[in-house]
Amino acid sequence: MYKKLMLALMVLLILAVSLPALAQDDVVVRFRSWSPVIATTEAMIEAFNAENPGITIEPDITNYGEYLVDLQTMAAGGSLPDLIGLEPGALTQQYREHLMPLQDCAVATWGEDWEDQFFPVGIEQARLGNPEGDDNIYGLPVLVQTINMWYTVPIFEEAGVEPPSTYDELKELADMFNAQGIAPVMIGAGDGWIRRDVYMQLIHNVAPGLIYEAEDGMASFADEPFVEAMTWWKRLFDDGIFQIGALGMSHYPAAVEQIQAGRAAMFPMGAWWQQQAGNPDPPPLDQNLAGYAPFKFPDVTGMGAPEDLLGGIDVMMGVTRDSANPDAACKVITDWISGAGAQVLINTYNDLPAYIGLRPASFGSENQEAVWDLFTEEWLASVQYARQLKSPDVKQALEAALAAVAAGEMTPAEGMQMVQDANM
Amino acid sequence: MPMTRKWLIDNQGLFFMAPAMILFVVFVLYPIFYIFGASLYDWDGINEAAYIGIGNYIEMFTDDRAFSVAIRNSLYWTFLTIFPQMFLGFALASILTSGIPFQNIFRIIFFMPAIISPVVLGIIWQRIYAPFGGLLADLGREIGAPFLIQPYIADPKIAIFSTIAVNVWQWTGFSMLMYVAGLQGLPEEALSAAQVDGASVRQRVQYIIWPMLRHVHLTLILLGVIGTLQTFALVYMLTKGGPNHATEMLPTYIFLKAFPLQSMGYASAVAVVLLVIALSASIFQVRVLGSRFTIGN
Repeated sequence: MYKKLMLALMVLLILAVSLPALAQDDVVVRFRSWSPVIATTEAMIEAFNAENPGITIEPDITNYGEYLVDLQTMAAGGSLPDLIGLEPGALTQQYREHLMPLQDCAVATWGEDWEDQFFPVGIEQARLGNPEGDDNIYGLPVLVQTINMWYTVPIFEEAGVEPPSTYDELKELADMFNAQGIAPVMIGAGDGWIRRDVYMQLIHNVAPGLIYEAEDGMASFADEPFVEAMTWWKRLFDDGIFQIGALGMSHYPAAVEQIQAGRAAMFPMGAWWQQQAGNPDPPPLDQNLAGYAPFKFPDVTGMGAPEDLLGGIDVMMGVTRDSANPDAACKVITDWISGAGAQVLINTYNDLPAYIGLRPASFGSENQEAVWDLFTEEWLASVQYARQLKSPDVKQALEAALAAVAAGEMTPAEGMQMVQDANM
Repeated sequence: MPMTRKWLIDNQGLFFMAPAMILFVVFVLYPIFYIFGASLYDWDGINEAAYIGIGNYIEMFTDDRAFSVAIRNSLYWTFLTIFPQMFLGFALASILTSGIPFQNIFRIIFFMPAIISPVVLGIIWQRIYAPFGGLLADLGREIGAPFLIQPYIADPKIAIFSTIAVNVWQWTGFSMLMYVAGLQGLPEEALSAAQVDGASVRQRVQYIIWPMLRHVHLTLILLGVIGTLQTFALVYMLTKGGPNHATEMLPTYIFLKAFPLQSMGYASAVAVVLLVIALSASIFQVRVLGSRFTIGN
């Protein structure tokens, strides 16, 4: 009896020691990013593993600021994970030397014509900032977006008005909503990115495409169209279009809380605003996106608003050169772009899929479905120009200039000269 | 006695010091030299760096408005937090050691902000300050006090002062606690003698209590200067250094340059300047004000 007991204990001991080792035979893919949020990422991993056993994904999701610090530290220490989240332009270019070209992975998964299976803006922006002659794709787009305006449907219905299409209409609505104690256009202009988003739409109205020429040195940021767009930006504050104290408020979470509370008639955001409907316990306006509808930025020039919108990649992913399992990493990325993981991601309405044809499994309301169709079938297909800028210095200078002009510390001309100086 | 054994005995102090010295070299000296070296390069922190000598320093001192604003803000922060905190803390401590009812509960209440994370405070105060939907603005509208509706952190002219006010609010309780400890440690005889001699309350505070709390003042000044030079989380959460760098502090500027702007070389140069300022401030304090701090006194 004693011998049998000892034998059983030995077997259990051997199993206890060897099982983790057996489990470690799985190929491990370490993933680090700021997006998607951890709950969504874990659901995507589960969906991926259901079809791809044998690959263990170890996610680590942090906020964007912390992610930048971690990534830089890991790169300096030579310990980058297999798979990293990227933004097009400056961030991808900074890590380009550490990233594998992914065309072969894409061809193996989707065939030679793989680029045609993505919205064009996703492919174009994946190469944003590549040196001349370098056509490699260092990150594959996962989610794309437009930037645009939204309005709060119940507020507009109660007032019996339509979304504005010109500046005069916008001003008229602003006067009316200000008198009611409602923010005409709610913006957390304390955040540089939303200031830039609005300016990008203004300059796109004034002179479509010119800002990209200025980035490449073929035009000057101090030129008249840029100053004119900056003047319009200033007027948005002076004319009471934006709510009082906009410069001291963050867009997330401060402005968003006011929007959700029904205290904002309109607000600048992007296609990603649809994700509000996928949040746990959404407030009434967010439920099934019942309370919101998108519209294009009003025409400020009087010559007509452009038909197309600005947009680009929300998040893309790259495989690092140090990855011990690049094939597994490729499998993960492509699944999250067009496979089971992608479907889980899209079901959260997180943003628009970079891969054409994906659609959430269900919609909670007709409005929500109509908004999705508008974005994917009409607006996204028309995107020609990027929401992002290539140079972090220009981006920072523009954001600082927008704050300075809005605060009255600089004239529009001085502000744009500052941006031009940063582009030298 | 063999030479080796003799040498070991003669130098045994080195072995006791070695662990601390090794930690000091690895975690203090090496990073300082590394940062100084990095400050001489145009470097994004990832890719190959280009040597530019003192180019970063020249740009910083001749053509960088944000840097000069950060230096100015550090001076504002030093003087407008340390001294108001000291005076308010002393006043509170005087009241809360006078035997009023529930004084221990009041001490806890006043001290509570000091133990709340500055990240949380930044988020809360952004909502308090917001002119639209913020606590102060809504209160102003409700009670008919429109002067409360101000762009506290949106106006570059007042944003730094609004930020400093939050810092003072947070740390006054800490100063109060230090003074409470100091006041409780004062010799009763001196105070009684002054009272017998007919000294008024003002005279007792001015000539006896305040001077006898010198070690507390020095401690608060030292901690205040260190805190100023380390200020990051509150500013980052409340204003992100804006608008237009109006509330920029050296640590937030270093972060901005190093990570979002991918200029690790330049950020290192700013860090070197911060280090020099910190060292100078410490030497100044020890030499001019003395070193009789509460800690170690």
